[in-house]
Amino acid sequence: MTMLEHAYLIALIPLAASFLILFGGKEDPHSPLPFVGIAAIGWCLVESLGILYAAISGAALPYAQDWSWFSFGMTAANRPFVYDMPIGVLIDGPAVFMLVVVTLVSFLVQIYSLSYMHGDARFKRYYAYLSFFTASMLGLVVSSNLLVTFCCWELVGFSSYILIGFWFERSEPAYAAKKAFLTTKLGDLGLYLALLFIFVLVGSFQIPQIAQFVSRGYMSTAAATLIALGILCGAAGKSAQAPLFIWLPDAMEGPTPVSALIHAATMVAAGVYLVARCYFIFTAAPIAMETVAWLGALTAFLAATMAIVCTDIKRVLAFSTVSQLGFMMCALGAWGLTAGLFHLTTHAAFKALLFLCAGSVIHAVHTNDMRQMGGLSKKMPLTFLTTFIGTCAISGIPLLSGWYSKDMILERVYEHDPRLFIILAITATLTAFYMFRLLFLTFLGTERDKDKHAHAHESPWPMTVPLVVLALLSIFAGALLDHHHLFESLVTGPVSPEIPHPAPPWLGWSVTAAVAASIVAAAKLYGGPHFETAQRLKAAWAPLFHLLDRRYYLDDIFLGLVDLGDRAARLAFWIDSEVIDAIFVDGWGAVARLAAKLSHLFDDLCIDRTVDGTGGLSVTVGGALRSLVARGLAQEYLMYAAVGMSVLAALTWFR
Amino acid sequence: MNILSLITFLPAAGALVILALPKERERAIQAAALISSGLSLILCGALYVLFNRGTSDMQFVERIPWIPSLGAQYFLGVDGLSVPLVILTALMSFVSLIASLNIKVRIKEYFFWFLILETGMSGVFAALDMVLFYVFWEITLVPMYFLIGIWGGPKKEYAAIKFFLYTLTGSVFMLLGILAVYFNTTPHTFDLLTLLQSHAQWSSRFQILVFIAFYLGFAVKVPAFPFHTWLPLAHVEAPTAVSVVLAAVLLKMGVYGIMRISYGMLPLGFSWFLPILIAIAVINIIYGALCAMAQTDMKKMVAYSSINHMGYCLLGIAGLTATGFAGASFEMINHGIITGALFLLVGVIYDRAHTRDISAFGGLAAKLPVYAGLMSLACFASLGLPGLAGFISEFLCFLGAFARWKVCTAVSVIGILVTAAFFLRMLEKVFLGPFNEKWSALTDLDARELCAIVPLAALTIVLGVYPRPALDLMNTTLVHMAGLFK
Repeated sequence: MTMLEHAYLIALIPLAASFLILFGGKEDPHSPLPFVGIAAIGWCLVESLGILYAAISGAALPYAQDWSWFSFGMTAANRPFVYDMPIGVLIDGPAVFMLVVVTLVSFLVQIYSLSYMHGDARFKRYYAYLSFFTASMLGLVVSSNLLVTFCCWELVGFSSYILIGFWFERSEPAYAAKKAFLTTKLGDLGLYLALLFIFVLVGSFQIPQIAQFVSRGYMSTAAATLIALGILCGAAGKSAQAPLFIWLPDAMEGPTPVSALIHAATMVAAGVYLVARCYFIFTAAPIAMETVAWLGALTAFLAATMAIVCTDIKRVLAFSTVSQLGFMMCALGAWGLTAGLFHLTTHAAFKALLFLCAGSVIHAVHTNDMRQMGGLSKKMPLTFLTTFIGTCAISGIPLLSGWYSKDMILERVYEHDPRLFIILAITATLTAFYMFRLLFLTFLGTERDKDKHAHAHESPWPMTVPLVVLALLSIFAGALLDHHHLFESLVTGPVSPEIPHPAPPWLGWSVTAAVAASIVAAAKLYGGPHFETAQRLKAAWAPLFHLLDRRYYLDDIFLGLVDLGDRAARLAFWIDSEVIDAIFVDGWGAVARLAAKLSHLFDDLCIDRTVDGTGGLSVTVGGALRSLVARGLAQEYLMYAAVGMSVLAALTWFR
Repeated sequence: MNILSLITFLPAAGALVILALPKERERAIQAAALISSGLSLILCGALYVLFNRGTSDMQFVERIPWIPSLGAQYFLGVDGLSVPLVILTALMSFVSLIASLNIKVRIKEYFFWFLILETGMSGVFAALDMVLFYVFWEITLVPMYFLIGIWGGPKKEYAAIKFFLYTLTGSVFMLLGILAVYFNTTPHTFDLLTLLQSHAQWSSRFQILVFIAFYLGFAVKVPAFPFHTWLPLAHVEAPTAVSVVLAAVLLKMGVYGIMRISYGMLPLGFSWFLPILIAIAVINIIYGALCAMAQTDMKKMVAYSSINHMGYCLLGIAGLTATGFAGASFEMINHGIITGALFLLVGVIYDRAHTRDISAFGGLAAKLPVYAGLMSLACFASLGLPGLAGFISEFLCFLGAFARWKVCTAVSVIGILVTAAFFLRMLEKVFLGPFNEKWSALTDLDARELCAIVPLAALTIVLGVYPRPALDLMNTTLVHMAGLFK
């Protein structure tokens, strides 16, 4: 129980470590400070495993604890009062698994980076950033307050920005970082509005209170739909769903361990996690649920098709990540909370593994281009073996972890809507195809670049040990978590609301058979040493290949939007300087000059004439008055003038 | 003498001391300025501690007859709305004075005018008598005119006269409004607290007319569309430290005026104007952000971003909820700190490179890590990254407005995206990418610059993570104010 009570520390420890690393010591390619980060995340891993153990052995979940954060004035029902905003932790089943996933992958990635990033000029800062990311991600996982969740949500986006742009001396990472931040920010606008809507309705950001509000039926379906769709916008940005996934392939400009941690295992899963965390809102809004399901299926399919034509090893994996996130989303939309989160967990293991394997390869051959690889299996046997395991896991080879979770999704989706099932089944087949294509192109066949191949070598132990650990998890995690329905019982609580309808037995086997067939096809096309069949296919289907290569022109549409924004900006500024300023400054000036001219004219024409005309009179009267008032003192004249004006003004006013 | 009077007039006393010093004794002049402003800041610390957070009444009140024939009084006092602004004024003035230590010409006059300006600004927030308020309001104008006109950039004379005429025009209307309410209350009074209770005597038409008069005065200062065009020019031409106080404090006088006088004194006029106000808020947010995106000059970009941020304040006010008021008040503080830091940082690069053109640089992060770090911090704070000061206040503004203005608020959210876009583009072009060898002689921040910027950066983080110290000052007053509107 003590583990749960200190759950808040899990987010704070890496935060402290991050600041310690950033501000302690000098920048040094061989700085010892990274071990501070590793120790911190190791501690968090132990805590998280303790919480998992407590949860398995029957600790009461969900566990919630809140503190006061800040207060502000608030008006509800026309009555203003001071509202106290809480901040706290809420540990439920999904949070427990997410904690273990994040701390474990972060721990392994940090060990891996010891070798991968060693000697980099900003070695120390890299670890500060990683720790900061981990802290924000863990905050997102444990927070009980949706506003705090959103804060952490933005902070992981910020961490992603600084880590994608870590090698900012080149233009591509700098551009990719900006693109990632802005694309996700676009989705976040929807989430922002959803938050406003929630607070106006419920008067609280506390997840349990919102859940209660919904379960009592206070939230209308229309409101729930709007809120759910807003949340989905945010989730689609972060979890790279169509059409906002365009940032993820470019995000591969960051260091590969970062891609493994942020852009495969944890941050991109945050959208899925958020939908799961707010599931009670989605289930109250059938339209939103359908949207989630179809968006997920569409994303899964589109991304898988794009992965087929990609030659950059990391981008294949990026598209694969997008596709797998689509699977998870689709499962959530098809009422399969357990299936979606189960796939999230297993995917974290095998996708982190695949990225770290890719990193190991890139570390050895110094290129991302699979066309310059080939035949690396002999040089890098351990990397090859672990990649093979990861590929099998993601392809859904029976009894590996991916098979369990993907099967669960397919069954659930089939039950919900057979059309979705067909899309996902085709996608699963494509997945096996492009993943084995990657495996063949990289490790088998002949060495296409002799020079690079000659210099290739197996990576040192800090890189291979995480690979082995993740490979073991990719094999066994599915079976372990499915044992006695462990995962399901923790995620949905002791009573399972998802009534199991046994899916037809042919369903699983037919998909497996299709997967096997596509692996054979991949072997035929890309087993080498020659690729004539592949080339012929590419020539025959050139327009399609081009469409896929250009990513369905979505990037161009996005750039068009940016251009539109720029045009709007220039137009606004033109209006500002040429219209508004002209009217309100030069216009006023012109009016004032005109008034001055008129007044001058009036002076000339009327006053002067009058003066001339009355001149004679003045002289007489003046002479008479002189004895009365004028004793030659200017001040006195002024005083009489002032008094006269004042009297006149007062008379006008009180008239 | 009361603490508020000390806070307000210590800088003026410093100015008098400077006046007595010979102009060759530059060190002594700088020391006198820093000491008098610093004492004022220390007293603000005392004010922060002693301020009673549990009441919405005026505190530290000081009331002395001033011009008995007019009924004008020397009447100072603060509540939860004004006390954060008084503190902000002292803080930003002190920071700006530190940043001003690199002023090389006509040092004596510069610091003299700066201290007079500080007195005027504090006085505006502390004054509770309309004549006194107006006097302080106008006092800020003259030093500002000289500070821009003498120590400014190439087009300084034009900028200074434009600023002066623009704001003077606005304040003439305000004076008319003051006279109008004076003559229409029985008994005639300039006492702000009495006037705040007097609106029952006034017809709706009168309130609307007076509202417009006051609004013109305040809108120019905010600046609210379409009276904002003086701002970019004034900012671009003003010396760094003057830009800082201009953005951090002078703009707040307008928002403060709207909240204190337009809203509190003229409820019928305010509710008549409300639909226009929300439209202006939306325009300020989106149009200001778009104009900022079109800039190639960093300083002008930051200046236009101020228009965008003041739009958030107006949005919060238009929400007419305690939340919106809290957002607007807190946004004033945060914008002061963040934009103050941004202007200081832009000044740093201008001092070294003599250009502020965004596309003239490239890859500076490799050469100037501390500068790049602080600039990124300030930019991300300004674009509303959670954990930094801007986010909570911006969110409260939106939250406060959303209940009443769903569509307008939803549209305004676009401003957040555009703000992020232009700040990130600036960061990319200036700090990231290949290093532009032309700037290999640039040096990172020196001690004077760090002394000015680091406290602001630290406050940005503190208030972003833990906004309670600032919000608790305001809560009682703002809740009370929100309850007034029927």
